Parts: sequence; structure tokens; C-alpha cells
Amino acid sequence: MPKQKILVVDDDPDLVRAMRLRLRANNYEVTTATDGYTAIASAQKERPALIILDLGLPVGDGFVVLERLQNIDALASVPVIVLSARDPQSNEERALKAGASAFFQKPADNDELMNAIRASLGPGQMQPAAWPS
Amino acid sequence: MDQLTTQVLLIEDNPGDADLVRLRLVEGNSSVNVHCVSRLSEGLASLDRETPSVVLLDLNLPDSHGAETFRRVMEHSPNVPVVVLSGQDDEVLAMKAVHQGVQDYLIKGNISSKHLERSIRYAVERQALLRALEMTQKRQLEFKNQFLSHVSHELRTPLTCIHQYVTLILDGLAGPVNPDQGDHLKTVLKSVNQLHAMIRDLLEATRAESGKMRVEPRCIALGELIQQTVTMMRPMAGEKHIGLEIGIDQRLPLVNADPDRILEVLINLVDNAIKFTPPDGAVMVQACVVEADPSSVYVSVSDTGRGINPEAKALIFERLYQDADSVDNNRSGLGLGLFICREIVRLHEGRIWVSSEPGQGSTFTFTLPAYSLAKLLAPVVTYKELLRPSFVLVRVELTPLQVPPRGNWKEMWQQSLETLRRCVYLDKDLVLPPMGTSGAAETFFVVASTDMPQSGVMTARIREQLERVLDLKNKCSLTIMAAPIELPSTVSGQPFLSQSLEEQVQTLASQVTGMITTRIESKQSRPEKRRRDVN
Repeated sequence: MPKQKILVVDDDPDLVRAMRLRLRANNYEVTTATDGYTAIASAQKERPALIILDLGLPVGDGFVVLERLQNIDALASVPVIVLSARDPQSNEERALKAGASAFFQKPADNDELMNAIRASLGPGQMQPAAWPS
Repeated sequence: MDQLTTQVLLIEDNPGDADLVRLRLVEGNSSVNVHCVSRLSEGLASLDRETPSVVLLDLNLPDSHGAETFRRVMEHSPNVPVVVLSGQDDEVLAMKAVHQGVQDYLIKGNISSKHLERSIRYAVERQALLRALEMTQKRQLEFKNQFLSHVSHELRTPLTCIHQYVTLILDGLAGPVNPDQGDHLKTVLKSVNQLHAMIRDLLEATRAESGKMRVEPRCIALGELIQQTVTMMRPMAGEKHIGLEIGIDQRLPLVNADPDRILEVLINLVDNAIKFTPPDGAVMVQACVVEADPSSVYVSVSDTGRGINPEAKALIFERLYQDADSVDNNRSGLGLGLFICREIVRLHEGRIWVSSEPGQGSTFTFTLPAYSLAKLLAPVVTYKELLRPSFVLVRVELTPLQVPPRGNWKEMWQQSLETLRRCVYLDKDLVLPPMGTSGAAETFFVVASTDMPQSGVMTARIREQLERVLDLKNKCSLTIMAAPIELPSTVSGQPFLSQSLEEQVQTLASQVTGMITTRIESKQSRPEKRRRDVN
């Protein structure tokens, strides 16, 4: 099975590098961008299976990127996990409304983040619970 | 309005007194404009229309008397200076007035025009200074809160980088790590996690202080939350050989509370209890109902630590309070934990307190409002003073196809709940408020006054409506089930039907609670979103 490609968008190159190492170790192919404009261009060219997106970005912040992605037919269904230092109380709902599939505040727990990535990529069907006897 | 003219609103019912005051005012000062009304209601109406420079206020009016009069004026227009003109020389009342913010208290008989003019001028000046001071304080508080929230955001960025690289090395992704190096890195990670917790507390405390902390109450079974807390904290207690026990009242009602927030409070209290208990001690988490206060649930966390001295007891819930000689200096924090707990409990309209004897351990107790199902049920399950003949509990469960769910899940289930409410008969069915269930699924319950054969019509309607309204197929699977609510034939040895109507509703409510909680507690605990970093 070919490796699934993840686009990591964050303006902190050190963090991008760390994410790349961790995702590669988890058997994903990684492509990166450090600003909003490049993120969209890169998404169009690379066609990632999933995008990890920071909110505070130069040249078009995370919300602009989310909006653009929603308007590009080929990318509208690509799951986007927002990973931001911003306060979830004022940003989570807004990000989800703009089309993100999950919101994690930095620093995020690695296991939780990896689980969310796997869940967003896989079929992830859950069985409904049964009525207790 | 002319800025140089003093606009006086005179509220005085005696025409003679009013004329006298008007005369005194105009005598020494040409730039004063007096508007006179004779009732408090007219005065307040005038204040709605325009803001005078000062209000001159008689206390005994046809529609208000004494202290009540100035209280109402100041409540209505807190920024307008008030000078009382009273017929009685009552120093006690005068002091009361001044304490509540009245600028001056003058006795009608003794006023010269010079005196009155000066009093008004000073009142206006003082009020302006007071307002300026309030504005400055407000701006400072806003600045401080913005600053703190900015700082806590900025601190996260470098912290994230440290966290990422430390975990990269620890997980062996940057080459092999020898055991000693691994230990050192774990120490670094522990400190990173502590720092993370402090940043979070800082932001929470700032929010609490500026009234921006939010809670989303749901209907929850506390037993499950307590269980979850204990499971999370057991490793930490185990390290110190501290026993961690649970005692939950079997008849514990559901409570109206935000499950994430209450989990935060429980973790904080248990964390403290473990922190302040010496090895081989015990920590106990209990939940019960107190007979004298049946509308609350009492939750307590007690320890066998060295207790809290009486002076500290009064301060312990304040911001930045820190115990001078903590048992374990390794685990000191910012001193915000209990302050945050208190604010969370307050937002739930509960209380939190500590009882302790030095050397005998401490017990922290908080209350939460019990969820009164019987009260909600009463109007729909009865008809003409009788309990309806049969009831069915309908369960509607939305299970997201992906975990975490894609898109705005909250909006999705809220819309579903709205739709559900439109599918029932308001006079005989009750859609219960959202339940704080575990797992990713969202579950709603309907108590329907119908029997099993008939309930099929309702469940079919619910399914049809939910599927029509929502784009369900792509996001979640829908399960709708119904089960009869069995009522006992006897309660405490007495025939069920001999009970009063109120008791019958109560019995029905406990049957429903039982059916719901069994289901809640039978499920796996959910993955923690706001988990504390506990190593």
C-alpha cells in the first residue's frame, strides 16, 4: 500500500521539522509549507490525504486557508486537523465551522494527535452500542 | 446641551420646597437650568431622556420613601451625582446615603444659595473624578487580562517546540537513547508538562476573573466522572503508596453540570489530596445527597494529610495562595488550582469549602445542583390528576462515522435535538436535556406517554425527520430504540397506586434515571480531551 501523504503547515520551521520526523516514523509521506499561500499551492499540487494546519500564518492565516480549501472542489473533502497555540474557547468552533475536522491546542499530546490522524484517514466505522439487557 | 450650564433635575413633591430651591439656585448663579418633577417615577423617566449634571433629591415622595429613594435613583443612573435634600436631620440616614454613593446630604431648612451652589459644584467634580478612576481601573484590568492571555499564547509556541523534540528523542525517533539519558529526558518532559499546566491555569484564572469562563451544563451521572478521575489518578497515588477509594451513594441523582469542568475540579482536588498526604495514607472521593438539602449533590475529597490550619482555611481558595511548607516541594504550582475550582463550582451555582483539623486530614466538599427529573416530568406524565397509563423511553443515538467526528459535530447534534423536540407531543412527551454520555456518540432520551405498540409511530417519525433535516448518512449512523418503562407494583411494601400522585411521578423519575444511568455507566470512558498531564 502506498504511503499516505500529509501536508504540514506551520510558520515555525523547527516545529515543521519535528512533525516531519514524527510523521515519517509513523509511515506517512510528508510535505510542508510555512505560509498560507504556499499551503494552498502545495495542497493543489501534492494532493495530500490530510492537512495539519496552524492558524497564525503569514500570507493568509489558517482561516483563510480553510476557506480556500473548501472552495476548491478537489480539496474540499481533504480532512484538516487544526493545530494551534490559540485559545480553543474562541477558535475551535470557528475552525470547525470553517471546515476543519478537529482542533488541537499546542502543545498537543502526540498519541491523541496520531489517533486523530489515523481516524481521519481510515474508514473508522464505529459500531453503535447496544441497549443494556 | 450647553456644557457651561448646570442642568439640575429636582425631584421634589412639595411645591413650596421646590420653588425655594429653584430660587436659591437661580439667585447666585445665572447659568443653571432647573427641571422639576414631583414623583420618583417621573424623575427616572426624565433620566431616561436626558442626563442632568446633578440630581437634587427629596427622600419622601408620593411613590418612594427614605433610603429606597436614593437607592433607586443611583441604581437607575449610577453615573449621575446625587445630592439629597431632606426635611429630616437624620445623621444615620445621611451616613447610609453617603456610604451608598450619595454625594451630599443637605437639610432643607439650612440651605443658603452659596452653600447649595458649592455643594452641587463639588458633587459634580467628585463624581467626574470617581468615573475617571473607575474607567482607569477597568482599562487596567482589561489590559492585564489581554496581556496574560497574550503571554500564555506566546509561551505555548516555544513550549510546543521543546515538547516535540523531547518526545522525539524519548520515543527513539532520533536514534537510540540509553537508560540514563531516557531518565533525564523524562525529567525534562515532566517539567514541560508542569509548565504547560501552569500556562493553562494562568489563562483559566484570567478568564474566571474577567467573567469569560464558560460552562456548558448537561445532565450527568457523577459516579462515572468520579470513576474516571480515580482511574486517571491511581498511578500517581500508587507511586506514593496512597490508597484511593470511592464511596458513591446508590441513590445519587443525576446532576446538571459541565462534565469536562467538573472532571477538572475533581482531578484538581484529588491531585492536591495526594500531594499533601504522606506515603501510606488514604484519599477518599465520595458523593451523596444530604437530607436537609435534597436539591444538591455533595461531592467530597478527603485525605489523611496533616490538615490545614485555621488561618489558611480562609485564604486557600484565593488566587495565588500557596502553602508555605508543602509536603512535596517538587509539585508546587501557581496557586491557582483551588481558585479555578471555586470559580467553576460558582458558575454551577454550587458552593465549595474545606473542613480540616490540623493533623487530622482535610475534606474538600462542593455541591452541584441535582437534576430534578420529577419536576420536569410532572406536567407531561399526568392527566386530570392521574398518572398516564403507560410510558416508553426512547433513545436516539447519533454515532459519528469517524472519531473525532468530522465537521462541526456540536452544531450537528444541537440541530438534531431541535428536530427531535419538534417530533414529540409537548403535552405528553418530554425530550430530556442532553446527557453527558461517554464516548463520541451523542444520545438523547424521550420519555413518551405511550405504550410499546404505539411508540413505533413516534420512532418512525423521528427517524424520518432526522434523516430529512440532516445530512446524516455521510456523518453518522442513527440508532433509535424504545423500551417500556416498567413501574413497580409495590413501593416500600405499599401498592404503587396507593401512593400520592407526586410520589408516583417520583417513582417514575427514578425508574427513568435508573434506565439512563445503567446505560451511561455501562459504556467505556471517553478519550480525554482536557486531560491533565500526569506522569
